[in-house]
Amino acid sequence: MNQIVRMKWATRPMTSGPLRYALAVALVAVALGLSIVLTHFHLPQTFGALALSAIAITFWYAGTAPGVLSAVLSSIVRYYLFEPGAGIESRLLFDLVFLVFAFLMTILARSRDQLELRVAERTAELTRSNENLLREIARHRQVEAELRLSEAYLAEAQRLSHTGSWAWSPPPGDIRYWSEECYRVQGFDPKGGQPPYEVFFQSIHPDDRARVAEVIDIAVREKKDFEFDYRIVHPGGEIRDARSVGHPVFSPSGEFVEYVGTIIDVTERKQAEKERERLREAQTDLAHASRMTTMGELTASLAHEVNQPITAVINGASTCVRWLSRNEPDVAEALEAASGVVRNARRAADIVNRIRSISKKEDSKKHLANVNELIREIIALLRSEAGKHSVSIRTDLDPDLPWVIADSVQMQQVMMNLILNSIDAMKGVDRTRELAIRSQRVENRQLMISVSDTGVGLPQDYIDRIFDAFFTTKAHGIGLGLRISRTIVESHGGRLWATNNSPRGASFCFTLPIPSEAPQDPEPGNRI
Amino acid sequence: MSGRKESKLVAIVDDDESVRGTLHELLRSAGFSSRAFESAEAFLESGHQRATGCLITDIRMPGMSGLELQARLNAEHCRIPTIFITAHGDEEMRFQALRGGAVEFLPKPFDDELLIESVQAALER
Repeated sequence: MNQIVRMKWATRPMTSGPLRYALAVALVAVALGLSIVLTHFHLPQTFGALALSAIAITFWYAGTAPGVLSAVLSSIVRYYLFEPGAGIESRLLFDLVFLVFAFLMTILARSRDQLELRVAERTAELTRSNENLLREIARHRQVEAELRLSEAYLAEAQRLSHTGSWAWSPPPGDIRYWSEECYRVQGFDPKGGQPPYEVFFQSIHPDDRARVAEVIDIAVREKKDFEFDYRIVHPGGEIRDARSVGHPVFSPSGEFVEYVGTIIDVTERKQAEKERERLREAQTDLAHASRMTTMGELTASLAHEVNQPITAVINGASTCVRWLSRNEPDVAEALEAASGVVRNARRAADIVNRIRSISKKEDSKKHLANVNELIREIIALLRSEAGKHSVSIRTDLDPDLPWVIADSVQMQQVMMNLILNSIDAMKGVDRTRELAIRSQRVENRQLMISVSDTGVGLPQDYIDRIFDAFFTTKAHGIGLGLRISRTIVESHGGRLWATNNSPRGASFCFTLPIPSEAPQDPEPGNRI
Repeated sequence: MSGRKESKLVAIVDDDESVRGTLHELLRSAGFSSRAFESAEAFLESGHQRATGCLITDIRMPGMSGLELQARLNAEHCRIPTIFITAHGDEEMRFQALRGGAVEFLPKPFDDELLIESVQAALER
């Protein structure tokens, strides 16, 4: 509205009231002046015409009231200066002419004002719609720019993730959309344009085609999602691993429209998986080989460990036979001896099983394990080895130790390594040879198992290097035991380290995390 | 015959509880009176040396070994006929044991007849 007012006044220069009335007086004065001048040039009676012009101009530019003023002034001037002798009729007639003219001019000026107003309104409307249009165009440009940017980001994301997107309507339709990355993954030239389905199918490795066709056929028939892995033979003969996922799209009325989906180049991912798998296998192999080496070195001790219960079995069986082959067989004594045979035979079997499970080569299997039990079992196996070197074993096991998630065989391998190292470290010392094994709960939800000895201790220069592969201070060692032990402990989320004891010997400690939601005593009735 | 058997004690020294226990039972079924000790030190401390007619001992044990025990008894002029039972038998040890006055050197597990005969022979010395 403000705009309209401004435009209206733009065509009407007379803004202030007094100035408009001054214009009326001035114009009548000019008409008078001109008329007097023209009389000198023998042109009489011009004032009337000039006065009408003055009235008209005043009306046009200054408005109604100044116009009326100019009409009145003109009438007075004419009467007193040009027609002093005129009769009352003539005077009234002239006044009437001026007034009628003034009235006509008023109407004319009003019409002009209305017209101006309307023009101004139209102009404003036009300006408004023009501005709207410009705004709309700007908005479109902005949206377009954003869209282009988003497309660029999407294309970049597709490139980075080796993921192409497509749309396909099954026969009789064909591929409807094929993103830039699809060309790259599938090994097509983008210049060749959107490939027909048949071309896509032919790029699949011949051995995979039948399977892929079957998966797609079933999915299309049932209008269900599909997903399959396949190999692509690129034009250069290179074979890539890919995965495609498709999802059916339905119209709002529920009619099947098309499939949209992705193809992903998973070659690198598969390669990395294979590498990881190979590494894991190599680690398993190495750990097993190391176990076997250790067990090999322990053969004599292990044989002795099995031999003891077998000796007991034979003694028991002989005793049993003796009681029964008396003149008066003593069945009660024979039974007592026989039950001893069973007990000792079981003990022998247990030891053999333990040796077998440690010697077995298996993939890492983690389950709930009782660390104290594992320690006791490994001590049972190594008791003879310790005895051979006059080493006594002392244990300090926390009876309330929480259970952990661990691979029992690997854990026992670590314990075995540490215990044998400690025994080794004590072989050459003359003082007490004592091995202390301790289990306890420590801060940060962890268990700590320590193996301490009264041996020669660790040379300060080597203390940081003992966990390095192929580092050994032993004449017969290959320097993998501690390296493998540390790898095993770390794969269980724990830490393995060594320190020197005061005044003598060394301690090897390792931690294992306590699982957050583990049943802490799976055997009911163990505790009251 | 049985009276003589009971007059002298058979001492068993072995750190393995099951071997020690079953050996004691075996000798009991054969009519011998025996006592089992978990270490050489325990035997020496028991004061039964003089009453022992036959000693059956393991060689490799934590603390004092069977051969050391034999040497110690010899030094104390307490020569008990000794039967060594061992799982780690080698010729060196066998030779040393026999030189120290051992009556028998049996690798584990041993034949019960052979052991009983050896004990019998030892007690009859």
